[in-house]
Amino acid sequence: MLDIRNLSKRFGRGESAVTALHEVSFSIKEGEFFTLLGPSGCGKTTLLRMIAGFEPPSGGALVLDGQDIAHTPPNRRPVNTVFQNYALFPHMTVAENVGFALGALGKRQAEIDETVGRMLDLVQLGHLAHRKSGELSGGQQQRVALARALAPKPRILLLDEPLSALDMKLRKEMQVELKRLQRETGLTFIFVTHDQEEALTMSDRIAVMSGGRFQQIAEPRDLYDQPANRFVAGFIGETNFLDGRCEGGQLILPEAEAPVPAAHDDGPVTVMVRPERVVLGAAQPGALVLQAKVEQLVYFGTDTHVHMALANGNTLVARVQNADQSDAACREGETIPVSLPGGALRLLPQEAA
Amino acid sequence: MTDKRFDVRRLPAAATLAITCFVILYIPMVILVANSFNSGKVIGDWDGVSLRWYAAALQNDAFISAGITSLILASCAALVATTTATMAALATTRTRGFKGEGTIHLVLNEPLMVPEIVLAIALVIILAQVRQFTGYNGLGYLIIAHSAFCIPFAYMPIRARLEGMDLTLETAAADLYAGRFYTFRKVTLPLLAPGILAGFALAFVVSLDDVVISDFLKAPGQDTLPTYLMGQLRRNLTSEIYAISSLLLLISVLIVVGAWLLTRKKT
Repeated sequence: MLDIRNLSKRFGRGESAVTALHEVSFSIKEGEFFTLLGPSGCGKTTLLRMIAGFEPPSGGALVLDGQDIAHTPPNRRPVNTVFQNYALFPHMTVAENVGFALGALGKRQAEIDETVGRMLDLVQLGHLAHRKSGELSGGQQQRVALARALAPKPRILLLDEPLSALDMKLRKEMQVELKRLQRETGLTFIFVTHDQEEALTMSDRIAVMSGGRFQQIAEPRDLYDQPANRFVAGFIGETNFLDGRCEGGQLILPEAEAPVPAAHDDGPVTVMVRPERVVLGAAQPGALVLQAKVEQLVYFGTDTHVHMALANGNTLVARVQNADQSDAACREGETIPVSLPGGALRLLPQEAA
Repeated sequence: MTDKRFDVRRLPAAATLAITCFVILYIPMVILVANSFNSGKVIGDWDGVSLRWYAAALQNDAFISAGITSLILASCAALVATTTATMAALATTRTRGFKGEGTIHLVLNEPLMVPEIVLAIALVIILAQVRQFTGYNGLGYLIIAHSAFCIPFAYMPIRARLEGMDLTLETAAADLYAGRFYTFRKVTLPLLAPGILAGFALAFVVSLDDVVISDFLKAPGQDTLPTYLMGQLRRNLTSEIYAISSLLLLISVLIVVGAWLLTRKKT
């Protein structure tokens, strides 16, 4: 439904010009929960603001339902935004805030009242309809902002880090709530966040951005298991990187006792392995086996992180489920064998860290 | 003493100086208001409490007509000044920076810096020509002149309010299908209202109180409250002048306090 073609954004002119977004292209499907994920300054908010119409693109096209809206003003786009600071109108009641768009569209009062009632029920705030927005808690303001943006039935709902101002517990609740709302309304959501956990739990697809470019667009599981490059691997979840090389279908790691088969072109590679896939102790067939010295055990309740040093000074972290193994599995200071199962290894092109 | 930062309140003379200033400022006003209730005819000769001079003032046609002139003048001037100031404030905060914006800012605030007497003399010379040419001798000249020097007073609180306003609110309105005018009417203007009200009150009080420009520009026989009071001072002083001054003080205080209360409630 939304096709973005070679969209770019430059700020400033001449030598002082900064490119916030290099030419990006992607498509979003009807009813999708699509997330733009990246560190601050990666261009995700700029991209969202261009979709909303607050920022004119420097080049490219924004095609919504077959129409290029790249230069349509925001009030003529069937797209609504939930702002990071909510931007509720402080002089209006909750109901007036939610009904604002319908009023601007010239709808009849009866229709506005009906829709406002339905929207407030949807976010479970019907009892607060006549409060001023300033009298609400952060979580309530968040719901009002959502209801306000949903009321005019946009084709796409844009959410600009909407949960970042909430505390941890409320944020988790709102994550579930947002996902529920999206399923119930069947609306297309474009969600901007710098929180990878938030992105993984809520999204159908995630676009990881860095330096004004897309690093990878994939479903959460693929993003986690098969990151396209070192940036994505490092940004999504925790991970271990080890440098090695491929020769004649074999992966050779200087730290390992024997090579394992690998379907990869010859040359230097970076081996990525998630901490929860590292197996302590017994050597397994088809696994890279390393000798590691246990330096520190960090207890996290559900699991324990085992920080280890390899012979050449590199470090390796393993995550051990506390339900599976007793904490006597290893001790600090001990040198133990560690297995990296072949299936857990992901080979990435080598690049500067 | 752990905190060695400079604190003006710790200077030995600070408290004394502050109290002296407040005494000089407010004691004469207290004396003035007190004397307005003196039933004696001669100033300084206390003869008991009465409202007789207020009654006399309210039956004094010259005072009533000067008072009405002042109220009309202040209302018109404050209205023109506030409207102009609101537009100027919107133009200097809600648009992309434009060439000459700094100059406009300076020109807007010029009346605060130019000595009033200079402005008065300049206006007298020009308006004398206009009077001769048009033959018009009404309140219009005073309204124009007062509007002009009231603009910066109205402009300051309005601009301050605009600068403190969250710009995302207007972006949000645009996102919610509001056109420019709808956004202005439903979002910008209601949020700006306390600033406009404060600007209006300030302009009103400044106009109500003006002597120099009014005295230079008024037509013969025309009087505003301050110029009427000045004229009375040159003649026989009775306690009536205290009563009139007290009334003027009351109006000013009511307007400023009223505007302050309304502004405070909205924020």
